[in-house]
Amino acid sequence: MRNRYSLPLIGLHWLTLLLIITAYVLATILEDMTLSPLKLKLYSWHKWVGMSVLFLLPLRLLFRFVDRFDHRIELTMFEVKASAAMHGVLYLLLIAVPMFGWLHSSAAGFPIVWFGVLPMPDLVGKDKALAEVFKELHEGSVNLLVVLVVLHAAAALYHHHIRRDGVLARMVPGLGKKQPK
Amino acid sequence: MRYFLTLAFLATLAVSMTASAQDWKVDYRKSQIAFIIKQMNVPVEGGFSRYTVNAAFDAAKPEMGIFQVELDISSINTGSEEGDGEAKRPAWFDTARYPKARFVSKSIKRNNAGSYTVTGDLTLKGRTRPLSVPVVMTQQRGGGWLVSGRAVMKRSQFDIGGGEWADPSVVADDLEARFKILLNP
Repeated sequence: MRNRYSLPLIGLHWLTLLLIITAYVLATILEDMTLSPLKLKLYSWHKWVGMSVLFLLPLRLLFRFVDRFDHRIELTMFEVKASAAMHGVLYLLLIAVPMFGWLHSSAAGFPIVWFGVLPMPDLVGKDKALAEVFKELHEGSVNLLVVLVVLHAAAALYHHHIRRDGVLARMVPGLGKKQPK
Repeated sequence: MRYFLTLAFLATLAVSMTASAQDWKVDYRKSQIAFIIKQMNVPVEGGFSRYTVNAAFDAAKPEMGIFQVELDISSINTGSEEGDGEAKRPAWFDTARYPKARFVSKSIKRNNAGSYTVTGDLTLKGRTRPLSVPVVMTQQRGGGWLVSGRAVMKRSQFDIGGGEWADPSVVADDLEARFKILLNP
């Protein structure tokens, strides 16, 4: 029996993390920059990377549904429910954070052209007040995402180091179970 | 300065020559001067909120008409506050030295019903370049005209956005001006 997720699913999981970190770091740098050509470039990269998270999600969900791996093994009933709830909220935030960013861009009058090639439709018309609302929602939802990602990682490390089961190894090819104490 | 005197003289001359053409009152609330420029290949809309238009036009003698537009550059709206601030700096419009931009028509040609080509001089940041603008004139109820059109120009021709901003892959060299001016009798 297979003891890990399918490789495409594992790849998409870590790619999503990498994209989120990249977008977050870019946003942090952007906040302190005055307007310059570099700022416009980084702003675009932030949007392109964020949109990539959104575009990858359906693919990830597809792989998750076709993957026959039973994630419930080695888990208690409580852990099955808690992890299902956590994963559900994480997926929702992976939609919500880029969507709020996209809505903010539309309302601010600076639409997104994905990697300078694919124009994304404007979701709402230009509206300064609305743009502020979406900006707040974008920031609020990403802060929640960061907190939950930390909890999610803490749970994985708890399984690996304390419970010494194979839960973290499902997502990390080559990582074996720790020897039981 | 000499240039401006010449321009003023020509403008006065043009106006006096076309004294027979009807002068129109501009309804600024229903008029708009906007521009679209691509930033990182993203079309971003901006505009000017303060400008004056002098228009003399008679559909029976369009070649005798004249259009003059004066833009107050500091009224620029680039879509963001930091963009508005940046646009006034020397690398862009340098509003301290060049607060106004002007377009003065030299000829108006009728292409077909309602469609005209207005050719003239555009002065931006102290540089004057010829500009030819296809214009649609739509007669309004009550006898007025809606003058609308688009003109494509290059910012590099006017040294707008030089230095670090010169790279056209960040802010495109081509920009499109869009306008609609409502003329009332």
